[in-house]
Amino acid sequence: MDELDLLKKSWNKPQQAHKTLSVNDIYPMLHKKSSSIVKTLFYISIAELVFWLLINAIPVFYSDEHKQKLEALYQNDTLLTVITFITYGIILVFIYLLYKSYQNISVTDSAKKLMENILKTRKIIKYYVLYNLIMAAVSLSIGFYYVLHNDVNLTDKIAHLSNSQLVGLYAGIVAVVIIFVCIIWLFYRLIYGLLLKRLNRNYNELKQLED
Amino acid sequence: MKTELEHNFVELLEKHQNIVHKVCRLYTNNYDAHNDLFQEITIQLWKAYPKFRGDSKFSTWMYRVGLNTAITLYRKSKRQISTQDYDGVEFKIKAEDYDDTEEQQLKVLYKAVHKLNDIEKALVFLYLEDKDYREISETLGISEVNARVKMNRIKTKLKAILNP
Repeated sequence: MDELDLLKKSWNKPQQAHKTLSVNDIYPMLHKKSSSIVKTLFYISIAELVFWLLINAIPVFYSDEHKQKLEALYQNDTLLTVITFITYGIILVFIYLLYKSYQNISVTDSAKKLMENILKTRKIIKYYVLYNLIMAAVSLSIGFYYVLHNDVNLTDKIAHLSNSQLVGLYAGIVAVVIIFVCIIWLFYRLIYGLLLKRLNRNYNELKQLED
Repeated sequence: MKTELEHNFVELLEKHQNIVHKVCRLYTNNYDAHNDLFQEITIQLWKAYPKFRGDSKFSTWMYRVGLNTAITLYRKSKRQISTQDYDGVEFKIKAEDYDDTEEQQLKVLYKAVHKLNDIEKALVFLYLEDKDYREISETLGISEVNARVKMNRIKTKLKAILNP
């Protein structure tokens, strides 16, 4: 008789390792909060959406001067208006994709399929973050460029810089942008790495079986 | 107000609760963790219950949700505080079946099974539940052949753990 058959013999016998629950014990459990990975992922994705929307919107609410500048820009520049529409369009597409992928997650699927659907959802969030980071890097670069060329005080100062100093200044700006993007990216990797560590391990184990 | 749906579900779960306890027994090693996982599986079962059409047996449906929760969805919650290990607990089998040697053997066996990874535990669980390889493969999403091969490897692994 092998080891598992020995375990099988007592498998269905009641054990004292747990207490047998009554109907009254079970009722309150139905309404407790779930701490499932999908729920956490859902909250994170909502937080991401709101966070990046706020980052884009805060300057508008924060300063009247900035608001006026933006309004002036929008009136003069149809390209900027088009870009803004596209940006919000892309966010809407992400929201739709996220909604669809959450709907696809079903606890009654096979273990492998369930894991795949969760990882697919995580991928959509990843692309959303990546998209925002690229946009942030581009905006920061344009912002720096705009300030350097339009701020009277600064342009005066820059005019006195030597070529090597100028290269240093631009290199510094590029470094700031890269560091900013990397820090945020590492932060996300850490959050998702911790959250999905076990899922990834189990998914790889299942995948290895099929290879 | 308890609805009829709630009432039906709770009655069914109460009747079949041993399935959930058995999943918890394999995936946790103390009371608090056991209760916490039981709680999470209950929530997942309840959330999925409106879609349960009764075309499969309630117990079969429970295996799937229970295992999926244990393997994939469950995150250890802050609710767990104290940790009394099962190893320190005399889990007693009914008096008439009581056999010290058997109980010791079982303890050692559970300890060995706890050393397996999550997927291996799922296979062991379904095997102990007398599920055929078709059902094991459908539950995990792998082929029947691979389920069989893996099961043989697990048996060898358990032997190695028990007889180092």
